[in-house]
Amino acid sequence: MPLRFIALLLLSVTLPLAAQTEIPDKPASAPSEIYRSVVRIEAAVQVPDYSAPWNSGRFGGGIGTGFIIGKNRILTNAHVVSNARRLLVTIHGSPEKYPAKVDFIAHDCDLALLSVEDFTDFDSFPVFDIGGVPELESQVRVIGYPIGGERLSVTRGVVSRVDFSSYSHSRADQHLVIQIDAAINPGNSGGPVLQDGKVIGVAFQGRRDADNTGYIIPTPVIRRFLKDIEDGSYDHYVDLAVSTFPLYNPAMRKALKMPEDGSGVLISNVIPTGTCDGILKPGDLLVEIDGYAVDSAGQVLIDGAKVDLNEIVERKFAGDKVQLRYRSDGVWHDQDVLLKTLPPNQMYAIQYEKQPRYIVYAGLVFQPLDTNLFATEKFDDYQVRRLFQDYLSEGIFTERKDIVILTQLLNDPINSRLDSFQGMAVDTINGKKVTTLDQAHELLSQSPEDGHQVIEFFGGTRPLVLPVADVPEANTRIQGTYEIDQLVNLAE
Amino acid sequence: MNPKALILSLASVWSLAGCDRTPAPTETMPTTEVADLPAPDPTLSVVRVNTTYQRWNPGQPWEKLDSNQRRSLGAVVSDSRVLTTAEMVADSTFIELETSDGRKLAPAKVEAVDYEANLALLSTDDTEFTKDLVPLEISETPKIGDTLQIIQIENSGNPLITPGLIQGVDVVASFLPGEYFLTYQLKTSMQTAASSFTLPAMREGQLAGFLTSYSASDQLADITATDIIRSFLQDAADGDYAGFPSLGIATAALDDIKFRNWLGLAPEIGGIYVSSVLKGGAAEAAGVRKGDVITSIDEFAVDQTGYIQHPAYGRLFWSHLVHGAKPVGQTVSLELVRDSEPMTLTATLARRKESLVPTHTFGESPRFLVKGGMVFQELTRPLLKSFGKEWQETAPLNLLEPYENPEAFEDRMDRVIFLAGVIPTPATIGYESLRNLIVDQVNGQRIRNIKDLAAAFENVPADGLHSILFDEESFTIELDEVISTSVDSQLLRQGISKLSRLD
Repeated sequence: MPLRFIALLLLSVTLPLAAQTEIPDKPASAPSEIYRSVVRIEAAVQVPDYSAPWNSGRFGGGIGTGFIIGKNRILTNAHVVSNARRLLVTIHGSPEKYPAKVDFIAHDCDLALLSVEDFTDFDSFPVFDIGGVPELESQVRVIGYPIGGERLSVTRGVVSRVDFSSYSHSRADQHLVIQIDAAINPGNSGGPVLQDGKVIGVAFQGRRDADNTGYIIPTPVIRRFLKDIEDGSYDHYVDLAVSTFPLYNPAMRKALKMPEDGSGVLISNVIPTGTCDGILKPGDLLVEIDGYAVDSAGQVLIDGAKVDLNEIVERKFAGDKVQLRYRSDGVWHDQDVLLKTLPPNQMYAIQYEKQPRYIVYAGLVFQPLDTNLFATEKFDDYQVRRLFQDYLSEGIFTERKDIVILTQLLNDPINSRLDSFQGMAVDTINGKKVTTLDQAHELLSQSPEDGHQVIEFFGGTRPLVLPVADVPEANTRIQGTYEIDQLVNLAE
Repeated sequence: MNPKALILSLASVWSLAGCDRTPAPTETMPTTEVADLPAPDPTLSVVRVNTTYQRWNPGQPWEKLDSNQRRSLGAVVSDSRVLTTAEMVADSTFIELETSDGRKLAPAKVEAVDYEANLALLSTDDTEFTKDLVPLEISETPKIGDTLQIIQIENSGNPLITPGLIQGVDVVASFLPGEYFLTYQLKTSMQTAASSFTLPAMREGQLAGFLTSYSASDQLADITATDIIRSFLQDAADGDYAGFPSLGIATAALDDIKFRNWLGLAPEIGGIYVSSVLKGGAAEAAGVRKGDVITSIDEFAVDQTGYIQHPAYGRLFWSHLVHGAKPVGQTVSLELVRDSEPMTLTATLARRKESLVPTHTFGESPRFLVKGGMVFQELTRPLLKSFGKEWQETAPLNLLEPYENPEAFEDRMDRVIFLAGVIPTPATIGYESLRNLIVDQVNGQRIRNIKDLAAAFENVPADGLHSILFDEESFTIELDEVISTSVDSQLLRQGISKLSRLD
């Protein structure tokens, strides 16, 4: 069945402090020297308030870890520095705080690259090399500034598993992760995980429901991030934008005239506008990707390990090609396919560094639906939940880039008796289908001939009607009463 | 509909009697008000109703869940029949009548039941049981301000009679959601006593209603109105119960002045806005359209919030006029405004057709089909409710869709058949994650109901593989006929009592 977006299991900030772990014997290669290149990052953040989008939001802060990977290049997690207003970096054993800024941030793989204003004091520090993917059962060290003390902490663990799994920072992304049996605690985030003196991962999340498990971002993901930003900007991951259904069942294989050799996976859904739109269609059989055989579970064998077939495109960039061997209507095809990102997927990803968009019109607050809004307002309206769920898989985004919701009413005489519309999705304004918040704003700015704005909602029992002539006065009144500086924000 | 606050059902306020065998706390006999009554001893006109009920297992429709008991009271009416609430007989497997003194018992059967109005008529063949009973007359319609007596029977067999004042009349849904019927609101202060689930309410020694719920904190009881009881008994008299009709519209209030102005409605006319018209309903047949404004029903002016001024009951929601006041087949006249023009329509009241997703399944066994380990069921509201207390939020959206928006499905199906789950078997390897998917076609045949599904599986394709296409999906799932048949016989040996129930 179509892969619905997998519920959040992993949490980036989780366990209470684990039991004190014995610091491992220092390896031969001057370990204390590299501690200096593991920095403590202090972030002051401002998180927008989606329930009052005109307000400044909530101020807060946190601690994370970063490490030097080059001249004035400090690698850390995106979630350590997201929504940051001020970043300060400190070196192990020094009280001085160095102001820093984010040069690149990738929320989909939870990585960010920082620089300090003045790198002079760091110049003599060793630089971490990025290594490979560690073997199962091999030992690794985690260095960072977790809770439970001010100073640097080192723990040791064993590689338990290498898997394709969820990245909780965005909630919507899955990439390769390495699970180790050392706990990753709050503050560890962004710290290096070392083996033989080289970085084999970035500590990034733990989980609440298991002891002694930590998750790290492996080097293929790190390398991809570093390569992606070489051109000066971070592009998102590319996506095949298809869902697959496993082909284990003998009856399925027989019906599809596939040999009993465990090969090939069934395409169950193709997202419009995505990489495979117009190439693959539901019911097609995918058997090879870039020469790797796709098995009946949708996995490929890379470097001796079975991984999801998406791992092949994981390492590629927008504009790269991928070769697909597939069968469609009984005909075999070998085709190079141009890889694309899937922007509408952002509906399901938590957004950072963005100002909430909204319109306040006659006390009616309109906001575009996204995961941030969904997390703030508990939408129980069936239609809204359906629009959210089907936005990507059913291609709703091709018709409506924004799903505009009437999120609240700022009570005023002009909007009395309209409470029942709260929490519903706007279908049309004055008979015109609402496709974006900008267009909704434009429609509301016009004056229809009969002097009424008529707004229809999905599942609404009647239209919502407002006399246009009374709106400007009401807007002024509401702006004053509710302390709203800007009635409209259309820019993120 | 009626924006009334919910009153806790008695079941949740009081523990059911039966387990409580301690003597009643008071030995005092009826109060002075009761002494004034000209009525005979109510203990001869009231019997205990003891029912055993058993629900079907929602996930394994071939079997029932554990059984439970309910106890309450019934009122003896003409022909020694016993009137009680439908709630008492819902899912019942055994119904027993017991005289209030506890000396005689008799098994009973259901003569007529209306789950919407929450009334049931029982009878017994045991003349020994019925010979001393004194039937109750049905009271004249009471008015606001009248006093009713609520009858309880203590474990000792003594009657416990509590007076209460009718302080209001409203339309209330007492058992099934959305089924609003005329109900008295009685201000009364009651105590816990035996058999306190469903209680007769009397007026001057005659049956005036049934208590269906009581809120101890508000000291308010809901009493099914006398008119509803009378109509129910009249309808049931011929042995062929038809049920209450409806008009088949949904409405929205017209209390928003901006909306009224836009519609061009003068302030002095009230009216309610028709927000949807049920396909195949009485209103549709009469020509009512979405967007019409109904200003009066049977000469009763409807105000902007949907209330009429009733001669006996005062301000009352309009729905009673079409859902309670008249039997099936009678007409109502509707005054309405369409595009600013007044017009009059006449609607012949009819039973509402059964919903695509049935709202209740009392008295019916769930229809299902097991094939090779795939469990197909007919979607019902009780099945949706099995997704939890917050089922409207937790049930899968694709299953909620036909419940919320049946018109999008009605052309293609009579009932929604869905794959409820998959029992891991050799035939369902790789299918274990499939569940809650609406079946669209099997072997190329459209599935309108469970019989279609069974027939489609009977029709084995030449390659011996059944192909199943689910709604909203564009690829088929295959099921091997030979393997699934052998799996089916194994499932029967492993204790699944039957593989299908199609009727």
